[in-house]
Amino acid sequence: MKALFFIALVLYGVAVILEFTGTAFKKDKLLKGAWYVFLAAFAVHTVFLVVRGIVAKRLPLSNQFEFANAFAWGVALMLIVMRRKLRTDWLSVVAMPAALLVMTYAALQPMEIRDLMPALRSAWFGVHIGSAVLSYAAFVIAGCIALRYLLAVRKGNADKKALDQMDYLSYRMVAFGFLFLTVVILSGAIWAEQAWSAFWTWDPKEVWALITWIIYAVYLHLRLRSRRKGTFMAWYLVIAVPVVFFTFAGVNTFMHGLHTYG
Amino acid sequence: MKKVFNFLRSMRFGIILLVLIAACSIVGTVIPQGREIAWYAQTYRSFHGYILLLRLNRVFESWYFIALLVLLCLNLSLCSILRIRSVVKAAKGDTERAAKTPDTVHLTPEGTEKLREYLTDMHCRAESVGEATVWRRHSFGRYGTFITHLSILLTVIFGALALYSPTVTDRDCMPGESIFMDDGTEIHVHDFRMADDTGRLDYQSHVQITLPDGRRSEIAELKVNHPFSFGPWKLFQQTFGTAGSVTVTDLENGGSDDFLLTEQSYLSADGKSGILYDTLYPDFIRDPGGEVTLITITQGSYPHPIYQAETFSDGVFTPVLAEPGDELTVNNLRFRFNAPVDYPGIRIKHVSRLWNGALVAAFTLMIAGLYITFFYEPVLVKTDREGYAVLGPKPERMRIELGEELKEYESEK
Repeated sequence: MKALFFIALVLYGVAVILEFTGTAFKKDKLLKGAWYVFLAAFAVHTVFLVVRGIVAKRLPLSNQFEFANAFAWGVALMLIVMRRKLRTDWLSVVAMPAALLVMTYAALQPMEIRDLMPALRSAWFGVHIGSAVLSYAAFVIAGCIALRYLLAVRKGNADKKALDQMDYLSYRMVAFGFLFLTVVILSGAIWAEQAWSAFWTWDPKEVWALITWIIYAVYLHLRLRSRRKGTFMAWYLVIAVPVVFFTFAGVNTFMHGLHTYG
Repeated sequence: MKKVFNFLRSMRFGIILLVLIAACSIVGTVIPQGREIAWYAQTYRSFHGYILLLRLNRVFESWYFIALLVLLCLNLSLCSILRIRSVVKAAKGDTERAAKTPDTVHLTPEGTEKLREYLTDMHCRAESVGEATVWRRHSFGRYGTFITHLSILLTVIFGALALYSPTVTDRDCMPGESIFMDDGTEIHVHDFRMADDTGRLDYQSHVQITLPDGRRSEIAELKVNHPFSFGPWKLFQQTFGTAGSVTVTDLENGGSDDFLLTEQSYLSADGKSGILYDTLYPDFIRDPGGEVTLITITQGSYPHPIYQAETFSDGVFTPVLAEPGDELTVNNLRFRFNAPVDYPGIRIKHVSRLWNGALVAAFTLMIAGLYITFFYEPVLVKTDREGYAVLGPKPERMRIELGEELKEYESEK
């Protein structure tokens, strides 16, 4: 089963190399090849997730490896959906490496399947962690779009309409991620009351989820009310991505709390 | 005064508060919270005075953090209440206002036809005002941000009440025994085990609550993630422990007693002879020479338990190690060491269901508010024979979509 994971990882790596090469040398065939390899990687990755879920007899979302794995899958899924639905081919050059980065982090985590600890055996498990996967993936994609926006502005060859679309798309991804992050926090609060007797315990993971929520809430306010757009907001989204990564991985690595499951 | 009021209700003030709350929260996770003062003195040395002075060791209970939350509530209240007035006002008569708005995009006649088709396909309702047509959809969407802000305000208020109004007590209880609360409520623990029916690790008790008025609950299963509520009480399976079990028999009269021991205890009939129970170890290794090495830590289980005790007779203490099943006789008392007994640690919460219910309702409202805000965006488009104008509180999406759809039909006026 591990082989499937590593095949997916290698295929993502190959897709990134092809994408970079195709972009650098403006070779459409290479870019097309990168996309097909990426789709193949995603297919293998999906099979791996399903098989792991069947073997573990639960959703494969319980520890750092499984979450990172699902997180990378979420980023890849969103890229594929966006390319199919919105023809955002320009996003691949930044979103593919993001998926690869998260997969690489997953590869560095212990991979063995463990029985769910009693605190995690709850109907909220799928809602809480599944929403976190979608939310974090959406924020990473929003950051990728923002990065692409900044690259286009730097190059100076994109028209205003295209830039406006990128800006709006990144906002939509933040809106999607923000809704799901809210679901994460609120479902987590209800679950915490059932498991630990309190809706909120100021656990580091809870606090960092709140900090992430505040960061994106400020973004939404700046954009909706002040009508701020463009380069400033793009930089804001790019800088916010490390906070998402810290909430996901940094808190579990550097801080001890109730969410330390391995 | 008006300036202060306007600042208190402003988005700028709201953002400042959010940033300050986030900054305090970061400090609250970087500096471990709620430790002994000596720990801060040892860890932060010369800085620990500042940490204590600024309450950085208890950020989330500090006066300034609570003040920030109160100010956020004030900001949310003011902006929500005032916003609803302006939103309702804007909603009234927006058709007439839209009809009078000049076109921002001019289209060819073919383009205006395409636009009508597009808006019809989008299930927009059309209303004719003079020569113009006003198209609208998802009008309720304009209330999304109001609902969201109101729900955040309610979440903070009900959250504080749900968090700080209950009384919480942690109690250990041996199986077969009861816990008595101050108001006379009895919580009886029938049994406890550390595995579910399939043998997986789990912590399960069977409990029964009897209220002071005599009302008695069913015997309920209590386990992690499955609290049990009855009357104003809510029980949680919190921790567990393992107690030593010793049966003492008086050889003279044949009477016997069972003792469950969690701490050092002296078991004696006359105070002059008996055994001093020290502790119970979870595991041990016996080498070929008979030497025993005690293992103090395992992963919560007791694979080979062993008792450490001392017999006391004629003024002399003699250390002994005993496995379950072993017996010791001291004068007229026989001590039989039994298999250890697991017992639950139960969290007992006196809750207000009203606040908990209100908080969950506020959560639901927040999700609904965010969904309406982001995915139920109001559409308001004015069209006429020459072109169109996108209006309403959130025109951006529609502008992009129509711009994309009709770019080949755009014309100069």
